[in-house]
Amino acid sequence: MSGIARGRLTEERKSWRKNHPHGFVAKPETLPDGTVNLMVWHCTIPGKPGTDWEGGFFPLTLHFSEDYPSKPPKCKFPQGFFHPNVYPSGTVCLSILNEDSGWRPAITVKQILVGIQDLLDQPNPADPAQTEGYHLFIQDLAEYKRRVKQQAKQYPPLLL
Amino acid sequence: MDETEELEPLFDYSRVQPLNPISLDDDDEDVICVVNKKRKTSQPVENEKQGHVKAVEVVDLDDDDWLPPPPKISSNDQKSIDEDSILKKLRLKKQELASFAESAKQLIESFEEAAKVEMYNSMQSSVDDVSEKTKEPSERAKIIISLQDKEGAKQIRMFMDDKFERIVKTYAEKMKCDLKQIVLCFDGDKISLSETPASLGMEENDIIEVHVKSR
Repeated sequence: MSGIARGRLTEERKSWRKNHPHGFVAKPETLPDGTVNLMVWHCTIPGKPGTDWEGGFFPLTLHFSEDYPSKPPKCKFPQGFFHPNVYPSGTVCLSILNEDSGWRPAITVKQILVGIQDLLDQPNPADPAQTEGYHLFIQDLAEYKRRVKQQAKQYPPLLL
Repeated sequence: MDETEELEPLFDYSRVQPLNPISLDDDDEDVICVVNKKRKTSQPVENEKQGHVKAVEVVDLDDDDWLPPPPKISSNDQKSIDEDSILKKLRLKKQELASFAESAKQLIESFEEAAKVEMYNSMQSSVDDVSEKTKEPSERAKIIISLQDKEGAKQIRMFMDDKFERIVKTYAEKMKCDLKQIVLCFDGDKISLSETPASLGMEENDIIEVHVKSR
């Protein structure tokens, strides 16, 4: 089983290195002893230009299981991330990341990250995961937008 | 046994016809034939004719002991042998010419070969001269990298030990902006100007992102 997951992740990594959308980062975690852990990827999702999310570079961690790609990876923002569809733990709630819903083994890491980028500015009120983000989005859109812009500033590009 | 007995008259019958010397059982005849052949191959034209006539006379003498062959046939035989000898000569000439042509061809080929080798050597030496002058660059490994900015990706070629400073300078010139505005980034990490594709462990077609700071 692990052979399948690791083989696939090796391929995913290879293809990412050759081609990925601008501003995105996705790389397997490097352990202190220098070895690479293919099962955990540290990623960065840039806020889409022209949205309230622009300027933010949001860290996301992908946790792959030995059952990948039969099962989707768990995608986590930092704890307390402000978004209607992100659990307080930081876990992203998205149909394509749901084993029982939209996940297909053919979905690539790139598709996952782009999908989450889309989700940032297009929350799904039918499937709330946290109260604060959801309530503000439904009841006080101005305040919601202010919080989103504030959060984008919290995650400036690390390298500039 | 019966079959051979029946065949015997056939052999006898053939003896009467000296046109076909191979079928003759006579040892002397055979020897003469061989001698003739030898002479044909070894002797020059005029001598051969004389020797040939002599040989034929000998044949006549020998034949007298056994069966006197009709003179007509002998003359025919001589003619045929003469023709044969002419053909032989022609063939020999042809072979000679062919071998001559062959040797000529070989000579030309060897000349060409020599010329080629010479050319190659001179080329090689000139290449060597060049490579001696610019030895380092020819041995440096190259890499193709995609340089990706917001507009899209461009393929650039650089040496594995080329510093990224060069890329930044080129890009800054093209974009007409300050060097300090440009940040290269590989795998989410900022690339310092002194780094090279080799030091970052880059592979063919890896993407480098270009970020242009507004100020």
